[in-house]
Amino acid sequence: MTTAEQAPELIEFQSERSFPVRAAGAVFHFVRRQPLGTFGAIVIVVLIAASVLAPVLNTQDPGTSIRSAPTLGAPSGDHWFGTDRSKRDVWSRVLYGGRPTLLIGFGAVALTMAVGITFALAAGFFGGLVDILISRLIEIIIAVPAILWLLMFTTAIDRSVQTLIFAVAFTFTPITIRFFRGNVLQESSIAYVEAARVIGASGGRIMFRHILPNVAPLVIVAASITIPAAMLSEAGLTFLGLGLEPGTASWAQDLGPNNRSYFRVAWWLLVFPGAALALAVLAFNFFGDSMRDVLDPRLRGSGLI
Amino acid sequence: MSSYIVRRLLLIPITLFIITIIVFIFMRAVPGDAGQVKCGAAGSFDETCFEQVRKELGLDKSLFQQYTLWLGDIILRGDFGFSPISREHINSEIGPRVWNTGQVGLLSIVFTLLIGIPVGAISAIRSGRPIDYGLRFVAVLGLSVPNFWLATLIIIFPAVWWGTRVAPDWVGWEDPLTHLQIIAVPAFLLSLAGGATLARIVRSSMLEVLRSDFVRTSRAKGLREAAVVGRHVFRPSMIALFTIVGLQFSLVLGGSVIMESIFNIPGMGLWVISAVAGRDFIVIQGVVVFFAAWFLVITLLVDVMYAWVDPRIRY
Repeated sequence: MTTAEQAPELIEFQSERSFPVRAAGAVFHFVRRQPLGTFGAIVIVVLIAASVLAPVLNTQDPGTSIRSAPTLGAPSGDHWFGTDRSKRDVWSRVLYGGRPTLLIGFGAVALTMAVGITFALAAGFFGGLVDILISRLIEIIIAVPAILWLLMFTTAIDRSVQTLIFAVAFTFTPITIRFFRGNVLQESSIAYVEAARVIGASGGRIMFRHILPNVAPLVIVAASITIPAAMLSEAGLTFLGLGLEPGTASWAQDLGPNNRSYFRVAWWLLVFPGAALALAVLAFNFFGDSMRDVLDPRLRGSGLI
Repeated sequence: MSSYIVRRLLLIPITLFIITIIVFIFMRAVPGDAGQVKCGAAGSFDETCFEQVRKELGLDKSLFQQYTLWLGDIILRGDFGFSPISREHINSEIGPRVWNTGQVGLLSIVFTLLIGIPVGAISAIRSGRPIDYGLRFVAVLGLSVPNFWLATLIIIFPAVWWGTRVAPDWVGWEDPLTHLQIIAVPAFLLSLAGGATLARIVRSSMLEVLRSDFVRTSRAKGLREAAVVGRHVFRPSMIALFTIVGLQFSLVLGGSVIMESIFNIPGMGLWVISAVAGRDFIVIQGVVVFFAAWFLVITLLVDVMYAWVDPRIRY
């Protein structure tokens, strides 16, 4: 009786540390080893918080003109980043302007990861004809420059955030499939897969229960490298005036069609939204490089630190 | 090897064929057509003009007929069609435009190599030292700062401060100095991302070679460090160049769309942007097919060169 009561305690004592403790340890390790990645992560959190909490951060509605404000007013105590030609507050527009860009970055990458990993597993699982068809499909998509695909999607469908998420995901799916396909094939040649095969596991079981969990951590690597690229590709299109609807508060919109003719007289219109976009992309790149170093040892050292 | 090349060559037309179908479907799904753009908006719409333009462009035929006519002209006569907006044949306009895009592209590849190789090599040789960290930081900056923002900054600020025109109007080779200035700035901006990527690849592949046994051997036998790096490390790590140069050839096409519209360069990119505004489907279709063909041929060449340079690679 005493032994039975003591047993759980003993097991708990011998077991590994609990999940929160382990997670905290991993974070601490990351912070110590990857200073720039940590910087990137902090900036990302701050930017997301700023765009979510925009309404309470001394902002006005980004779309309405403020009657008391000057037209094209320089940065001042009332309007930290100045005002634009329609007397709108640039600080508010910079905070709100992160929303569509970040949303498209995250949305497109979530979609591309889900589709990419599914196709990669299918290519690895079925092999043969399916694999060939998938690689033909990849070639068709990458043969046309991404910006032309985006152009075709936005002119043929519409310029909503959803369409842009779909279009950006479409252009990034081929590289995602290639990335995961390589990893799936590599995993397939490791002994544990052979062991699973020997005990009679089905192909589907091997793919989803054995290989998928082993390539899953790489999703973080692929996603954090793809997000900045996805944000830039949306921004480039919107800058040309062919992405998001005109008038939307977004960084690229304010760098392009909204303000283009006023940059000469109002530098703040050009500097602040551009710096916000560059900072966001930089932060994701730092974070992505660090995650790659931590999670994908084969590529270690190819990035920064 | 040769059977590999033949197989790839056979696949190119198939891929292009599927792309023509996709781009055609996309363009016909666009609301509005060149007839509506040319003959006025809803208020002052001219019915007879509309019918005439549609007839002239063959827009009154069935979609299947339109597609087969378009594709048939390309395959049988190499004729990409007639643009209703500029009232010119695509074929007569495509040549100068490809050349303009190509000049910027070639120069940007030169810049990519000039930036990427030295930065990557110095970073690898001095790895772990402050200069390595500094250069890698700059490389990430090059990847992160949106080139269209940088382009706008480069145009606006000198103009405001000193009244300099960084991007004068397009003149062509009649005025070689101005022309070089016009293409150098966008070429440099286009090369930043590629240069940064190349620097990283050169760095990591040189580091890999620097750690290998034969490098240790050559050092052990007393070879000078310069000779070790110059003769034994640099060459094998240059294979990465082929990938990145090939990649840059295709990146230039996509990048040209943004750079040409900022710097007003009459190339393929600017063409496609104005075609979108004018619902000039035939131009968009032509440019997409042309870019795709360009990409497929370049990637084939890169793969073949790759095998030629590195005998370990077998197809």
